[in-house]
Amino acid sequence: MNGQYASLLIALPLLGAFFVPLIKGLGKKAIKTYVLIITAIQTGIAAWVFQQVYSTGKPIIVMAGGWRPPIGINLYIGHFAALFVLIVAIASFLMAVFNFKAIDVEPIDKYAMLFLLLMLGATGMIATGDIFNLFVFMEITSITAYALTAYNKTGEAAEASLKYMILGGIGSSFFLIGVALIYGATGTLNMAQIAQLAGNIDPTVAQVGLALIVFGLAVEAELFPLNAWAPDAYQAAPHPITAMFSAFVVKAGLYAMARILYLMSSVGTWHNVLKLLVVMATLTVVVAEFSALRQRNVKRMIAYSSISQVGLIALAFALGTQAGVDAGVFQMINHAIIKALLFLGVGYVAVQLGGADIENFHGLGRKMPVTAFGITVGAMAAVGIPLFNIFWSKLRIILATVEAGYTWAAFLVLAASVVEAVYYFRLIHAIWFEGEGERISESIPLVAIVVALVILVVAIGIYPNYLWSVSQKAGSDIFNVAQYIKNVPLMGVGA
Amino acid sequence: MVSVLKRSLAIITLLIIGYWLAQGLAGVPFGQDKMLVGHYYLDHVKEQTGAVNAVTAIVVNYRGFDTLGEVTVLFIASTGVGALLWERKKRRTAKTEGSIVLTTGTRLLVPFVMLFGAYIFIHGHLTPGGGFPGGATIATAFLLLYMAFTMYEIPHKAFEKTEGLVGMGYVIVGLIGLAIGGYFLFDWIWQTWGWGHDNIGRLFSGGFIPIIYILIGLKVGTELSGIIDNMLKEGVKE
Repeated sequence: MNGQYASLLIALPLLGAFFVPLIKGLGKKAIKTYVLIITAIQTGIAAWVFQQVYSTGKPIIVMAGGWRPPIGINLYIGHFAALFVLIVAIASFLMAVFNFKAIDVEPIDKYAMLFLLLMLGATGMIATGDIFNLFVFMEITSITAYALTAYNKTGEAAEASLKYMILGGIGSSFFLIGVALIYGATGTLNMAQIAQLAGNIDPTVAQVGLALIVFGLAVEAELFPLNAWAPDAYQAAPHPITAMFSAFVVKAGLYAMARILYLMSSVGTWHNVLKLLVVMATLTVVVAEFSALRQRNVKRMIAYSSISQVGLIALAFALGTQAGVDAGVFQMINHAIIKALLFLGVGYVAVQLGGADIENFHGLGRKMPVTAFGITVGAMAAVGIPLFNIFWSKLRIILATVEAGYTWAAFLVLAASVVEAVYYFRLIHAIWFEGEGERISESIPLVAIVVALVILVVAIGIYPNYLWSVSQKAGSDIFNVAQYIKNVPLMGVGA
Repeated sequence: MVSVLKRSLAIITLLIIGYWLAQGLAGVPFGQDKMLVGHYYLDHVKEQTGAVNAVTAIVVNYRGFDTLGEVTVLFIASTGVGALLWERKKRRTAKTEGSIVLTTGTRLLVPFVMLFGAYIFIHGHLTPGGGFPGGATIATAFLLLYMAFTMYEIPHKAFEKTEGLVGMGYVIVGLIGLAIGGYFLFDWIWQTWGWGHDNIGRLFSGGFIPIIYILIGLKVGTELSGIIDNMLKEGVKE
């Protein structure tokens, strides 16, 4: 099949979302099933694209409208995008299963549309090869995220959503000004051409533009000090949405940041921006871990833990070395699996027992043994215990950090990991050694998902080589800018 | 004392950031001939897209993918408002009927406002404007109706379905391009079928631009009216 059919990755969720108003009369179950079917098809397309890209080793360049870049907009589905589009689709599919249990608030038709469009936005952000198109998809992602954060219509949800909206709005405008500066300096919006011309930009302009873009994306990527919205939003959003936020929405922001950062690597003042980012990322890790320690609400605690791990990924990307980027991508995949597992488990407990406060987790091992087992494995993996997947990526990130000469950052991150161990083991202790309870029957599909994710976590933990080689390919897709430029069939306009 | 300190600190930070931004802006060669792709568009727009309005050609054809995204953004805004202001039953609660000037004026103007909106989006490839302003104009006609008459309501179920249908229409136009020309959002009407090549500058030209702009106009019009409808009505306790 022709590579251009990869554009179905964008067309299908859109078509799916626009179709929902026509079936809204059919009832809740029908709409949830419909979302499940759409996400399943999306997973199929994404799997096909992944298989294509990884078997040929060549990226798929989708040219919208048949115009060659930079005249038109192109999608660049290389090793990274193919991998993450697949992860986005799978995570959405799993959460579409979870929707059946977790979502009861009306209007379900609007929820379905926003759910599909959140998936679309993240897919687009990861796949696009045009910096303004990236902005458009970022808007799609973030505006859907604002609406979904407030979806439960409680006071807290409204507050969280407003916070997110204000910060996100400021972030988007920063990003847009940054894009305008870079467009003003280069005269093009195509990412490959920007990379080609980056060396000729006035260093001050490039630094200001890049810093504005990094700050703008830092809101989506949840970096300190622009992540104040995240814990509130994670706590208030419907449970499947929280898992999606953590599994891929934040990743899309991080990826966009890393991509633009490395595209501009030939700029003279590049290392200053990297240093700024290293500081921001390290602070993110440390501040989030210490905040997590104080939480009584488990969902919020895991939200903080997610932020700290995201900081770790940002640190890896900010090192400016091939090893760092590879390790960052590896951590991104592992984190997506772990956080999908944890938020699914915690969300399921919250649905069954009426809230995610730590009290509800006492005796969970007796009440919901499989879910409790899943949360336990997720917690142990998140801490970075050997034989679980995060161990390998954390190790590689720390090694890369030391190698790049940031020993202080590696030290701080390690210290923060100890804090992480404290609150995760407190949770595990509460689950297995405190409280009493009667067994509650657990839903078969959710149990199946939990078990599948646990197997994945352990399998990667024992045999990380396959995923590591995939991460290396995806990492060099970001790091090797020369190859990126070569892969995009630029027309000889102007340059 | 503390607040003065805080405030001066904020002002100093702002000044530093402002200076830094100004430095960046000063380095951008504004006004110089830097437009790499701009010249290409201007030189080729007529033969490649058939639109005399180059801006429209860029928005809908060359960078049509962005526009599909923008349409989605608006759709999300309207869906989000609908989701957050959702009530099982809603009705209008306005108490005062519009004055005679407003009601008479509305009766007279509404058809013309709608006509003008439709004119704007149908002629998007020829004159300034297009689907977005045209749709917004149409929505103002509904806003006028809401302001003038306390009992007026748009047929919001039909509007919601229209919104979905025209949205699908846009994607399907793109998919037809994929099937016929091999590229998503490919302008099959102009480039494959070659319709309207001797008609440049008249209504029946511009390939799929008029079709897409009509879809966008309907979509924006129904969406903005839907937002007005959602914001004006209040929930009824049963």
